[in-house]
Amino acid sequence: MKVFVTGFGIISAIGNNVTKNLSSLIENKTGIDKARFFESKFVDDFYFGEVKLSIDQLCELTNHHDLHGFTKTDLFAFIAFEEAIKMANLSQIELSSVDTALISSSTVGGMAETDDLYKDANLLTTGTEHLYSYGSGVHTTRLATQFGILGFSDTINTACSSSANAIMLGAKLIKYGKAKRVIVGGADSISKFTINGFNSLQILSKSKCQPFSNDRDGLNLGEGAGYIVLESSEIVGDKPKYAEILGYGNSNDAFHPTALSEEALGVSLAMDRAINNAKLAPENIDYVNAHGTATGNNDQVELIGLSKIFGTIPNYNSTKSYTGHTLAAAGVIEAIYSILSINSNTLFKSLNCSSPILTDNPPINKNIANTNVNYVLSNSFGFGGNCTSLVISKV
Amino acid sequence: MYIKDLCYISCQTTFDSSFFETDSIDANAIFVSAKEPDYTPYIPKSLLRRMGKGVRMGIGSGMHLLNKHTNISGIILGTANGGLEDCIKFLNQIVDYNEGTLTPTNFVQSTPNAVAANLALMTSNTCYNNTHVNSGLAFESALIDAMLTLNEVEGDILVGSLEEVTQANINIDKLKGWVVDTETRLLHLVNGNTSGSLIGEGAGMFVVSHDKQQALVEVVDIHTVTTEDINSVWKVYESFLKNNTIEEKNVAFILGRNGDEKHNINYNAFEQQFVKGNSIYTYKNLCGEFPTSISFGLWLSVHLLNKKIKKESIYKDVSMDIKQIIIYNQTYNNQHSFLLVKEVL
Amino acid sequence: MELEDLKSRLKLQVIEYLNLIDIKPEDIKDDEPFFGGSLDLDSIDSLELVVLLEREYGIKIENPQEGRKVMIDINHMAEYILANKK
Repeated sequence: MKVFVTGFGIISAIGNNVTKNLSSLIENKTGIDKARFFESKFVDDFYFGEVKLSIDQLCELTNHHDLHGFTKTDLFAFIAFEEAIKMANLSQIELSSVDTALISSSTVGGMAETDDLYKDANLLTTGTEHLYSYGSGVHTTRLATQFGILGFSDTINTACSSSANAIMLGAKLIKYGKAKRVIVGGADSISKFTINGFNSLQILSKSKCQPFSNDRDGLNLGEGAGYIVLESSEIVGDKPKYAEILGYGNSNDAFHPTALSEEALGVSLAMDRAINNAKLAPENIDYVNAHGTATGNNDQVELIGLSKIFGTIPNYNSTKSYTGHTLAAAGVIEAIYSILSINSNTLFKSLNCSSPILTDNPPINKNIANTNVNYVLSNSFGFGGNCTSLVISKV
Repeated sequence: MYIKDLCYISCQTTFDSSFFETDSIDANAIFVSAKEPDYTPYIPKSLLRRMGKGVRMGIGSGMHLLNKHTNISGIILGTANGGLEDCIKFLNQIVDYNEGTLTPTNFVQSTPNAVAANLALMTSNTCYNNTHVNSGLAFESALIDAMLTLNEVEGDILVGSLEEVTQANINIDKLKGWVVDTETRLLHLVNGNTSGSLIGEGAGMFVVSHDKQQALVEVVDIHTVTTEDINSVWKVYESFLKNNTIEEKNVAFILGRNGDEKHNINYNAFEQQFVKGNSIYTYKNLCGEFPTSISFGLWLSVHLLNKKIKKESIYKDVSMDIKQIIIYNQTYNNQHSFLLVKEVL
Repeated sequence: MELEDLKSRLKLQVIEYLNLIDIKPEDIKDDEPFFGGSLDLDSIDSLELVVLLEREYGIKIENPQEGRKVMIDINHMAEYILANKK
């Protein structure tokens, strides 16, 4: 059973829809800047990949009107989800069929409303408007109930590899006949909770992040959502197919709660398993969408892992230099960028790498157009050593 | 998928076999805390010092099994809230210290994947590792993930759940009307018709395998649905019945009754429509209500099918030879699940 | 403040901040290395010690590199506190 991509939707710092994201990538326009809509003591200290819309503007982007208690995470999820099912042209009957599943992911979920959570958890109110919104699964429940999805629904949280695991699990449901159609993805929003968490680990950068550069000094937090409609070869018919999910690999680095092992054990296992699962060899891979957070540890270890697998690394970039690190949404947003590369025959420049760690094998330093992108490897690694790689191919 | 071994930390003495030999523990409360074992055989002190209750319950019960089973090719957990206490401690610091310099341990331990990650770290297990957090369906999702993953790995899989009760979630759940207003007897919980339920906590771990050698039970099928329309739930149940061969005279039911009037309506309707003189068991009168408590129902089903339990936990029992068990649970009135568990032939 | 008093207090605070189980102040020698020795602390602990310095002594360390030079043992920490305390 093959797993095809028939639609996708995205909202990120570089655009509120697929078209806008693609044009920003082509123009090498980053979305990383000082925060304008978000409130925190740190807005002037750090750079963020903020979605450049107010809550009211976000509400206008969704077709749903019953938005009481919705958090930013919920709104991002609804906006990207609606674009994805529209592109895949899914009917209500298809959405509500028991063999249509939904697998989402989030790390902060509704805890993005940090101040309201503080009030409710400490009984300082009789219940804020976000009382029912805090769990990381709430956005999924809201998607399922409002869109009438009656099949299997799930939320994954493996930190920064969450939505890569959502894509993997969706592909598995189809492969083993448990579902015919799965909508997969994830959503996260910048919150006091995550800023302070990452700040306590001293890995936030005070400049625009510099993946794979010797000058890198940490990551920029981003936000947004992405959803992909996966359909099985059994039902897809002659619908437009934008890509195929060809393989996946999941591993644990089993080394440290917040750092990857120097020998890149989990990282190389995930890549190796994904390439094997796709029944490919490393030399088949045309392009790697790297995890590339721009922390000292991640980029160094990822390059060690990539060198182990490939020797000379194929064209690679970190699109976090455009969006910042969107945490749970990173895997699916980067999978969508990979699909955009496949369909536009273009590989995008990795930004801000003035002094590459690997001088003779640097990341993509200017757009490569009119190039055939057949097989992409997309990496996502999370705290807790949760590593996942996906192989996505041209149809 | 077969269950080969299991371990449960709950407010009953389930960690060792004394649960089967003694009276069940009762409480008159609005929440009950787990009877935690001595963790020193399972968790080094250098790691234990950082762990909140939910995390150490998950790791203690998980390590208890991982010490015995070495052929583990995956660790898959489900938890609605993960290390909630650490999460709230970190949150309180953010506000109380006005986003000053904060302690990272709370942040690191509050991420729900910390438990599966720690189990991998402590056993140097670089295999498949995943964490599901879909509120009241998190454990069911972990089971489904394990079923799929067994197609792709050689060895067995550790699958489990954990949930902790903290003042913060009691506060939040109270505001939502999910907690009983007054102290309630645990063992009588399911007979009540109260607003809200008695909150519990627990961690349950299971070694699952595609190999039926030494298996205790078979987990045959799992269906879950998220909807506010109860008729859609019954449609999913009917398709679950159609998917499986159910022998009516040998099937018993385990229901997730929690005494909450909002849930009673659905359980009553389910009994009326689908239960025809079969034995019905409950489990939240032992463990309390929490989002992944269905793992306690699964734990109970293993012991019922292996004839280990003959106690007052039994509710509406009719004498019958049980070969199959259907577990039906609902959480927050919009997440429902059905599990079919069978004796090993 | 007397250096010895400071060191005794610091040991109690280190135990409290790091939740060291079954370790008493007298078990920690002044030159017992925090990392790689019998205390076996790790990088997350060093960040916890940064918080300790700020909350207990009002000393802010923003550069991780600088933190590494201070969080060596009780001696180094105590001397740093005396030199930088406001």
